[in-house]
Amino acid sequence: MPLKESEAIILRSYPLGEGDRLVSFLSRSTGRLRGVARGARRPKSRFGSTLEPLSHIRIWFYERETRDLVRINQCELIRSFLATQRDYAAGLGLAVISEVTEAVLPEHEPSDAAFRLLLVTAGAIERSGQIALPLAYFNLWTVRLGGWLPPLDHCASCGIEFGVEGVFASPMRPGLLCNNCRHPGMRVISPRGLTLARRILTEKLERLAEEDWPSAPVNELNAYSLDLIEHQIERKLTTRRLLEKNLESNT
Amino acid sequence: MPDFAAPIARLIDELKHLPGIGQKTAQRLAYHLLRASPEGALALAEAIRNAKEKIRECSVCNNITDTDPCLYCTNPARNRKTICVVEEPNNILAVEKTRHYSGLYHVLGGALAPLQGVGPEQLKIKSLIERLKNGAVEEIIIATNPTAEGEATAVYLSKLLKPLGVRVTRIGVGIPVGSDLEFADEVTMLKAMEGRRDI
Ligand SMILES: [Zn+2]
Ligand SMILES: [Zn+2]
Repeated sequence: MPLKESEAIILRSYPLGEGDRLVSFLSRSTGRLRGVARGARRPKSRFGSTLEPLSHIRIWFYERETRDLVRINQCELIRSFLATQRDYAAGLGLAVISEVTEAVLPEHEPSDAAFRLLLVTAGAIERSGQIALPLAYFNLWTVRLGGWLPPLDHCASCGIEFGVEGVFASPMRPGLLCNNCRHPGMRVISPRGLTLARRILTEKLERLAEEDWPSAPVNELNAYSLDLIEHQIERKLTTRRLLEKNLESNT
Repeated sequence: MPDFAAPIARLIDELKHLPGIGQKTAQRLAYHLLRASPEGALALAEAIRNAKEKIRECSVCNNITDTDPCLYCTNPARNRKTICVVEEPNNILAVEKTRHYSGLYHVLGGALAPLQGVGPEQLKIKSLIERLKNGAVEEIIIATNPTAEGEATAVYLSKLLKPLGVRVTRIGVGIPVGSDLEFADEVTMLKAMEGRRDI
């Protein structure tokens, strides 16, 4: 049972037993794991604030072949997002990215891209205090990394190249459709939403955040990506209702 | 895990739902109850049933009570200019123990916790704002827990309440009495520095 060391991001933690914590985290080298931190709920625990959601840490743990839970031995804080969570909206944004990451990533499969995406998004939320654009970036990239994003340049039915009109999407069908091929009840993505999506896939979040984006295209992309994510994980995200309420009140 | 007779397993299972009770403690309690006299064990069951039936929420402050409004809300000796806001009814006891607070209370029913689906709408915030409308309240003391959720709730409330012209204060949080600065983590220490006052 060798001691492993890795960089990690805490996704969430739950109280366990009489003073322990069950912790879900994304290890940069091993992928998503769940582990037990003994005594983490006791005052003066050696884990301190390292197990708070989105804490970027260095972690030492034991993996046991017969159990799916690792034993967390020690943690060291690299970067804390605890202060950011004092703001409700920012905390909500961080909760969305940790819930989505936990829901879409299988255990034990390393994903450096998902790891960096979490840090970049959390950093942008911390810096700007804004959540809509960082989440649109995070959610669309999560869909892309999951392999669920259809081509954004032509209609999946007739093949026509998308022009200046809006396009139509539904999580039930792969591919975006043009105005001629659309089915009733599909979600519309405006031309600005489509432009933003293309730029999200080719530019840095920092660069995009320098521009003033109207809320409509940003919210369209959030809704579209979250539809695809919920379709893949086959359940509703707990944070989504709160997120939509929050984005609504800011438009 | 050893095999228990079904009724014992059920009892252990129910006890495990209580806060801070794990498998071992639940087993110990279950065997203790089974060894006790029938009257003793049934008295406990009856006390739980009775409390559950008679106790409800105060329609003013959301404290748990057997009279509505509760004893704090109706006591003429209490100072009506101050409301202390707490997450849960049992937090009131912690404040009362100090014997230095004689104002009113407001129980939120939790703290903002998006991962658990708890946003502002799920907390009793609207009824708190209602209580400020007659202008009698001068200060709101926010005594939510010094956790990430409790802090976020305190900041959210203060942004909401300050524009209403009421003084909003936060209980001091930081180094617990009896502990050593050497062992304080950075977040706790930061809170302690922020909460400093003149002496
Ligand atoms: Zn078409
Ligand atoms: Zn009351």
